[in-house]
Amino acid sequence: MSFTHVLGVARRSPTFAVGFGAILVFALLAAFADLIAPLPPTQSFPYETLRPPGSGQFLLGSDGNGMDVFSRTIHGARYAFGIALPAGAIMAVIGIPLGLIAGWRGGWVDEVLLRILDVLRAFPTIILALAIVAATGQGFLNVILVVGFLDSPIFARIVRAEVLALRNATFVRAAVAAGNPEWRVLLVHILPNAILGATAQLPLRMAWAVRISATLAFIGIGVQAPAPEWGAMIRQGAEYVISGEWWVALFPGLALIAMVLGLNLAGDGLSDLLDPKRRATGK
Amino acid sequence: MSLGGFLWRRALVALPVLLGILFLTFMLVRIGDQDPVAMLAGPMADAPMLARIRAELMLDQPLLTQFWAYLGRLVQGDLGLSWQGNAPVTQAIADHLPATLELVTLAVGIGALVGVPVGLRAAERPNGWFDQASRFGSLFGFSLPTYWLGLMAIFVFFYLLGWAPAPMGRVSMMVTPPEVLTGSVLLDSLLAGNGEAAWSAAAQLVLPVGCFAIVATAPIIKHTRAIAIEVMGSDYIRYARACGFPRRIIRRIALRAALVPVITFVGSEFTSLLAAASLIEFVFAWGGLGHWGLNAILLGDFAAVQGYVLVLAIASVLVFALVDLVVLLLEPRARA
Amino acid sequence: MTLLAVQDLHVEFATRGLDNRLRVAQALNGVSFTVAAGEVVGLVGETGAGKSLTALAAMGLLRPPARIPHGSIRFEGREIIGLSDRELEKIRGRRMAMIVQSPLTSLDPLKRIGDQLVRMQRVHDTAHGAAARTKAEAMLAAVRIPDPARRMRAWPHELSGGMAQRVLIAMALVNDPALIIADEPTTGLDVTVQAQVLDTLRDIVAARNLGALVITHDLGVVAHYCQRVAVMFAGRIVEDGPVREVFSRPSHPYTRALIDSTPGRIAQLGWTVTGGTPPDLYDLPQGCLYRDRCPRAATACLAAPPRIAVSGTHGAACHFAGEAA
Repeated sequence: MSFTHVLGVARRSPTFAVGFGAILVFALLAAFADLIAPLPPTQSFPYETLRPPGSGQFLLGSDGNGMDVFSRTIHGARYAFGIALPAGAIMAVIGIPLGLIAGWRGGWVDEVLLRILDVLRAFPTIILALAIVAATGQGFLNVILVVGFLDSPIFARIVRAEVLALRNATFVRAAVAAGNPEWRVLLVHILPNAILGATAQLPLRMAWAVRISATLAFIGIGVQAPAPEWGAMIRQGAEYVISGEWWVALFPGLALIAMVLGLNLAGDGLSDLLDPKRRATGK
Repeated sequence: MSLGGFLWRRALVALPVLLGILFLTFMLVRIGDQDPVAMLAGPMADAPMLARIRAELMLDQPLLTQFWAYLGRLVQGDLGLSWQGNAPVTQAIADHLPATLELVTLAVGIGALVGVPVGLRAAERPNGWFDQASRFGSLFGFSLPTYWLGLMAIFVFFYLLGWAPAPMGRVSMMVTPPEVLTGSVLLDSLLAGNGEAAWSAAAQLVLPVGCFAIVATAPIIKHTRAIAIEVMGSDYIRYARACGFPRRIIRRIALRAALVPVITFVGSEFTSLLAAASLIEFVFAWGGLGHWGLNAILLGDFAAVQGYVLVLAIASVLVFALVDLVVLLLEPRARA
Repeated sequence: MTLLAVQDLHVEFATRGLDNRLRVAQALNGVSFTVAAGEVVGLVGETGAGKSLTALAAMGLLRPPARIPHGSIRFEGREIIGLSDRELEKIRGRRMAMIVQSPLTSLDPLKRIGDQLVRMQRVHDTAHGAAARTKAEAMLAAVRIPDPARRMRAWPHELSGGMAQRVLIAMALVNDPALIIADEPTTGLDVTVQAQVLDTLRDIVAARNLGALVITHDLGVVAHYCQRVAVMFAGRIVEDGPVREVFSRPSHPYTRALIDSTPGRIAQLGWTVTGGTPPDLYDLPQGCLYRDRCPRAATACLAAPPRIAVSGTHGAACHFAGEAA
């Protein structure tokens, strides 16, 4: 993977490049939040509440508790990755084997998966997530688990679709006909290709996870203020919007959008890069 | 296939899904740590009183017995009592549903009117400038949190510019609301010939519908584009070219072919927005079903949560049945 | 009278890989042949030889990333390359009609058969209304579809593959074109149905004095239905001439290999008949492209072979074509 290769990918899919760039910026923010943020995210200055952006030490203003919006927004990136990475990992760990078995074997696993998907289709995930988190307790860990588990069947469906398509591919049939044991065909021929196809979906699912965890926090379930989580910060800012203190809600919202958009762009671009049909557009 | 047979088959498929959802919700609200009895009885209640309420609500029975009893009452149209306002859940649903339907119907309507043509146009030249722009736009819409968009719209159009009315409900408190007929304040005012109320209701609708429509449009653009591209790459479009059909006619064939999948998608969009409406209602104090259901979840209002989820599930079953019915009319293969 | 004259046609594809480097595939490398009125010409060769591409080019249907850097296609005396879409639309389906490979998926799934035939006439302004319906029904009868009046109301998904292929033939003929291009018209059909469909096509072509270009990888089809044949390999025509001549005196080693590998009379050449693979279109070697697989390869083959006349209109692009086999 040389520099020209990276450049080539960027030119082939500017979408992916922009999205990946945004994610990278947020990753750096999350990693070095303590160094970049001028103030600790939960340090309160009781006499300096709701200062507008640019006043004194508050680059992006201060919130109702007199905490620095800028520092809090930067630290919010940690929560975003804190949900995206483990939720993505749960999706992959549950979804890939489940989709693999459902797609390859069919049978009752497939049947159960399809029924679960039926229920999920009729049961809006946001409401389900809300209800589960409300019922099982509001810690961040709980939010991660719920979001990860809820999206696993959807990820499994993506893998399943890939497997179904691959199952009848000539090279797979040839591998079966050549007398390879089933596990070998599954691991050597199906799995890598199915994962490649499903990879593009992972950033999209992560985007969903970040969005939904912020939504939960906004509603007041999940991460609670004063933790510097974007959704919780928007919730704090909501009450000031009608009185004109816009900055409390604006900046965490922008950060949330940029992060989710970055993941979405990366996923969308990735599916282009991985789709051989679209490669044949020489311009 | 007859219409009756079609509906019968739909019901057979829908029933287990509905049961599954009901059971899931039933268990879910009961594993929580909220104690409804203490909430119901208030701070003055003593132990025997709590026990009596517990027995009344059958909370001392095994969960399956409770569920069975719930189903029994459900069949008779009794969804239980909501603790918010101590009203029957059915009544509360009837009161709140129209407000949400008004919001969602308008948002999905606008979303389809904007999203479908944009998606079709984008598919005409994949990777052209219009396609790239609309693709970015739709990804952007995907990434917008509705509630944040609502807050910003309130700040700009209410606080800064003063164009929009206060984000408090569906009609200004200064006007006399019309008698409830359809449940949509706008429609009811128009029906009653109450111009002032109609104007106020329309003004209240603009911001929430606008924000919601932006979020609704994004997936419609994306899917319409994908559907149209698939259709344009199909054998019959290639054959139509080989037949020397001019672009106008090829476009018409493609449009006709894309119609069915697009309608199907817009239908599914409707059901998912019905649930997502709770957030925009929350921000605009809309007082619709979503807002009510959200509160029910937050308060652990068992019967109300179950009723809310049931309505959402039934709505999705109905919408999908309706979509399939339309498909049946448009698609000769489905009639076979 | 010559209907279609293809002269030194080149087609290439420019694609970009993951690394964004431009790669050019030379798919056709100087294809020349003619089709005259009243004659059926077979275009035969293995998958990837460029048969379908030649047909698409003749119809003016090539789309980017395919492009024609060089060559000429004249139809009824008029150059096709460079015509606007609007002008091409007047020719396609009107003067020059195509029968495609996958009949079941090629018909508009949302329109009845009769309406599709009527639309074909209305679009090309050859007949309208009741006259068009009468003609459509007559066309269905002509392609030997039983009970044409009832079939007019059928949906595409109600047809069998053979029936749908007949409908495509009716679609192609309904505007009385001068030239028919049939691209593997019988792929996917049962052998008996294949024969019926091809018989129908041959009879109509003969009765109406049409020209026809039949693309196939089936030498049996060529032997049965064509008067002349052109054999393609790696984007070139390696041998062409009257079917009898070519079959009795194959003068290009590739043609010989094709015929030798034919079991009985009907050969289904799914892929390469002789050892080896086709040359890399992205990196064409100099000289004869068949050289790597040719039993007779010699140093002379490092130079591109010219077409050498064997007898009359029979010729082959091989340095040794004139010699006895």
